[in-house]
Amino acid sequence: MLYLQLFIDGVVSGCAIGLVSVSFSYFYATTGTFHVAHAGIYTFSAYFAWWLVGVGVPFFGALALAVALGGVAGYLTQRLLYERLARNTASPLVMMIASIGLLTVLQNVVAILFTPNIVQFDLTWRLSHLSLGGISLSYPQALILVSSLVIVTALILFSRHSALGKRIRAVTSNPDLAEITRLAPKQVFAIVLAISSAIVAVPGVLIGVDQALQPYTSLLVLLTAVIAMIAGGIGSLRGAFCMSILLAVVQSMSVAFMPGRWSVAAVFGIFIVFILFRPEGLFRSRFSRAF
Amino acid sequence: MTLEARNLVAGYGDKSILDKVSFTLNDGEILAFFGHNGAGKSTTLKAVIGLIPVQEGELLLDGERIDKLPIAARLDRGIKLLPEGRGIFPDLSVKDSIDIVAQRNCTPGGSKIKKDDVYELLPNLARLRNSIAGEMSGGQQQILAFALALLGSPRCILLEEPSVGLQPDLVEDLFGKIREICARLGVSAILIEHKIASAMAIADHVMIINSGRLVFNGSKAEAETINLWSYF
Ligand SMILES: Nc1ncnc2c1ncn2[C@@H]1O[C@H](COP(=O)(O)OP(=O)(O)OP(=O)(O)O)[C@@H](O)[C@H]1O
Ligand SMILES: [Mg+2]
Repeated sequence: MLYLQLFIDGVVSGCAIGLVSVSFSYFYATTGTFHVAHAGIYTFSAYFAWWLVGVGVPFFGALALAVALGGVAGYLTQRLLYERLARNTASPLVMMIASIGLLTVLQNVVAILFTPNIVQFDLTWRLSHLSLGGISLSYPQALILVSSLVIVTALILFSRHSALGKRIRAVTSNPDLAEITRLAPKQVFAIVLAISSAIVAVPGVLIGVDQALQPYTSLLVLLTAVIAMIAGGIGSLRGAFCMSILLAVVQSMSVAFMPGRWSVAAVFGIFIVFILFRPEGLFRSRFSRAF
Repeated sequence: MTLEARNLVAGYGDKSILDKVSFTLNDGEILAFFGHNGAGKSTTLKAVIGLIPVQEGELLLDGERIDKLPIAARLDRGIKLLPEGRGIFPDLSVKDSIDIVAQRNCTPGGSKIKKDDVYELLPNLARLRNSIAGEMSGGQQQILAFALALLGSPRCILLEEPSVGLQPDLVEDLFGKIREICARLGVSAILIEHKIASAMAIADHVMIINSGRLVFNGSKAEAETINLWSYF
């Protein structure tokens, strides 16, 4: 039963990281920009929701506003930062450094606007549990499970079947041609970052509800998400999501077999096995650009 | 529609490749554009559509200066490019590629070349509708690239070796279609080709470039009286 509970906990935390991974991957595969500040938007929207709840906004209203804020922040980040850097033909390294800078700024803005402390949502249902045959799932965990499955499925369907999703894939696979066929790649990049950032607000808020909000730990979450993206196959949304769950389950269950401090090593172990023996990732991707 | 280049100088970065290239292209005309590898053919077309800046000289479309306009504004005016290499979206199916490009280039009433028109014009494409572009043969990809370049309301199409990878009978077929489109819709075309005889068959004018400088610019009749190869 302990194993089962650890397994379930791993799946839930994998789903949350999966949302970070999928949203990061969607933008990275499209633009090639290593958007470290994704972690900043994750934190920023989470604290924003916490603040809203604090001033009396109902939780789901706060979540929706955090998602909206994430979307706007993402759109502006592409338009005001990455697009300008790209115009000056900045190298990927310069883009990444700029992104790290933005992350730092966002973390500081959180500290100034909201609080520099580790805080918890003041919600009574946070600690309520569902029990299903001996396994217990907290309400926030259930929320993470359901919302991540819905969001990832929706994003995959959007990418495959909607006109905008196809346009994004077209731009991804040949940005030069997209320019001369009027697919407006610059606009598409901004839309993609808006979508990604809106999505990343969800795990930001929900992990915050499930555990606590921490101003400076989001980079670690992003690191796991990036590992999952690479091991899952860059450009494969499904791969990033499934790999996030696999990594989180291993990390969670490893606690039962070895000292807790080894759990991160276990994650990297899997990562290394994957890049050595299956460098193309978990699933072969049909959605990527040549880097 | 008249496209005119006056003493065009263009290149990459600070380097100039084109050396005062001048030409005029009228409504419905086809200009065959020849030259050795690295002569500056692609560079000329890139300057016309705006992928590289014009360093000196002028580009005029119906008398309007367009050499300072961004790519999008030139596309709006009906300049279209079939680029060198892969002019397709490898991840998308033929149908999706055409749908997306049509959606962004065709207006409900007014477009000259709509989705149905390209399928009608290129029946092979209709059969490949559900194939993934990146998984098709080189020749099939080329036909799709041609279709994508046509969608919308082209007035001047810039074609970079449209025949690359096509089997011989399809080359003739494609060139016949280019001629037909130009004549029927009053579209003009610049046709970069290494298959000189095939291109000559549909051309009105011929232009030869050698190391960035135009060395021949004349009517087809004039071109037929000379040995074109001596200009390479
Ligand atoms: N991206 C680039 N950066 C710098 N120089 C370039 C670039 N592209 C082309 N050149 C140079 O410009 C010159 C003309 O090249 P261009 O591509 O116009 O030739 P072309 O006539 O189209 O040849 P081909 O028949 O091989 O396609 C060449 O000397 C080439 O080295
Ligand atoms: Mg060329």
